[in-house]
Amino acid sequence: MHNVGIIGLGQMGRLHLYNCFHIDDVKVIAVADASKKSLNKAKLLGVRNLYSDYHDMLDNSDNLDAVIISLPNFLHLEAVKLALESGVDVFVEKPLARTVEECREIVNSVKKSGRKLMVGHCMRFLDAIEKMKDIIHKGRIGSLEVITAEEILNGPFSHAAVPTPVPEWWFDPEKTGGGVLLDLGYHMIDLFRFFAGEANVVFSCLDYKMNLPMEDGALVVLRCKDSDVKGIINVGWYQKSIFPNFNFRFIVHGNAGFTSTDHFIPKNLYFHAIKEGTKNLLRKIAGRKIKPLSYTYYYEQYFKELKLFFDCLKKDLEPPVTVIDGLKTVEIIHKAYQLADRTVKKGE
Amino acid sequence: MNDLVSLVEVSDDDLTTYISKALDLIDFKINQKVQSIFIKVNLCYYWNSLTGYTTDPRLVSSVIDVLREKYGLNNVDIKIAEADATAMRTSHAFKMLNYTKLAKEKQVELFNLSKDKKVPRKVRVNGKEILFEIPKSLLNTDLFINLPKMKIMSATVITCALKNIFGCIASPKKIVYHPTLNEAIVGINKLLKPHLTIVDGIVALSRYPVKMNLIIAGKNPFSVDCIVSKIMGYNLFQIPHLKIASKEGFGTPDKIKVVGDDLTKFKKIFPHVNVLRLKLESKVQLRLLKLYSRITNDTLPPILET
Repeated sequence: MHNVGIIGLGQMGRLHLYNCFHIDDVKVIAVADASKKSLNKAKLLGVRNLYSDYHDMLDNSDNLDAVIISLPNFLHLEAVKLALESGVDVFVEKPLARTVEECREIVNSVKKSGRKLMVGHCMRFLDAIEKMKDIIHKGRIGSLEVITAEEILNGPFSHAAVPTPVPEWWFDPEKTGGGVLLDLGYHMIDLFRFFAGEANVVFSCLDYKMNLPMEDGALVVLRCKDSDVKGIINVGWYQKSIFPNFNFRFIVHGNAGFTSTDHFIPKNLYFHAIKEGTKNLLRKIAGRKIKPLSYTYYYEQYFKELKLFFDCLKKDLEPPVTVIDGLKTVEIIHKAYQLADRTVKKGE
Repeated sequence: MNDLVSLVEVSDDDLTTYISKALDLIDFKINQKVQSIFIKVNLCYYWNSLTGYTTDPRLVSSVIDVLREKYGLNNVDIKIAEADATAMRTSHAFKMLNYTKLAKEKQVELFNLSKDKKVPRKVRVNGKEILFEIPKSLLNTDLFINLPKMKIMSATVITCALKNIFGCIASPKKIVYHPTLNEAIVGINKLLKPHLTIVDGIVALSRYPVKMNLIIAGKNPFSVDCIVSKIMGYNLFQIPHLKIASKEGFGTPDKIKVVGDDLTKFKKIFPHVNVLRLKLESKVQLRLLKLYSRITNDTLPPILET
């Protein structure tokens, strides 16, 4: 049995908390969050140890095997370092940290501690991405040539079913470390690396359509370091998006064909929810395990990544997304920031 | 006497001519001495006017020009006002939706109603007593102008002139009024009565944004809403807050006279959404999901938590 603590019970933290209940041999024994309301929700779910300060949780970490860190970006470095020093394995939400320097500090901490760390690069585990990877692995599209990755939606400005204010830290570039490129672009750049390998930044252009103090649109061109594969990354926070719609597509062009997420993502997400929901109902009636979150299509990836993390801990294997993946992705993002032609800023 | 509501088709060029025409059509005059003006816009979230959600700052800018040029209100204190909402913070919305730039250009003040001194007021609507906290400045202003957006909304079917006044409530947690939302909309309109309403129907909101190129003006917000609902394809009895407002004496639907452009032309442009479909989409989906989650024990994404 793995005893787990969750640090941060915002939307992502709560999602991880709920997902833990569906993973065998995993028990959430502690949660930490500044919000009493969030702690009470966890208490109702049977979590016994509630902390308003995660430092107190880590001070009492004797019974903990791992922690899940879902804090705002500016708190990642300290929380990850302290958790590793406490002798627990760590799952940390993306981005690994705000800057390359912070990421390097975390890399050193992981090495020094000898503990395992996985970063939440969840989109690698999206069903469509897994299928595309398999198609490419079988050689069906020939040699890789160009990858286009785009994700344009509302990011932190998404509207929940019950309206809640966007947390203030999202409006402070010091605390976020960047805008949409570090948020959604992080996933797209990681997917490029996942399919094509390490990359250099050839071109980068940032946009400021929403008058925020950080970019809300970014267009980045990548070129593989050890091949001729190129990538076009197009991300934005500026588009109104309402659940369950998700404006994301990933296309890999080869010299013998192409594969795209559009080939695999259900055309009608409502019909998909009914189909997968019915399957889970039948599984439940038959006394079998359900496939958590499969009905949402996009949210299933969060369950899969967490399950893989705990599988790796059980088998003493290296997690599928390492601290180096986090570092390399942030390195590319910061090169894109350096290269960005800020003179294209709207209205200037 | 008939209540006049004007419809004026606009084009992309200078809006002042169209606003001026719309005001002439309703015979809008300013007789008293005006020293302070509040312009209540609708900035419900951080989505700009082209999404159909928020008041177009170009319309606000042109209204200010008309007030100054046509009515000679040059040395008058003009405030563009909005209050924080459950999910929206006015300070961010002003910046993100280009109001900060507008205020600088036009030398007017941006005013967060949630930060104003609050005055408690009780009203009785439909047999229910409702308590509001009203921003004091709105009670003392000489000219109160309402600039709502023309939208559909599952909770109230239409959201326009009367609903925009609901947005004046000082507390950000307006969601507390939602169990009796229709009564609350009527209640706040008993306390705060705009002298003029100009609806931003340049881009309206149906299930998606619709370019209507329309402005609607009237002195009585109830009459304006009656005409807006006609354009959207609803009758008064499908809109609960208009039904209540009618009973409470806000106006007589039969005595509204439309002046200016032809209503049927705009009715054809606006994609009508069936009321039942509107309600089903918002509530039934979520209820079914919750039921499914309870039976299977499956995870509900926190974005759907209530």
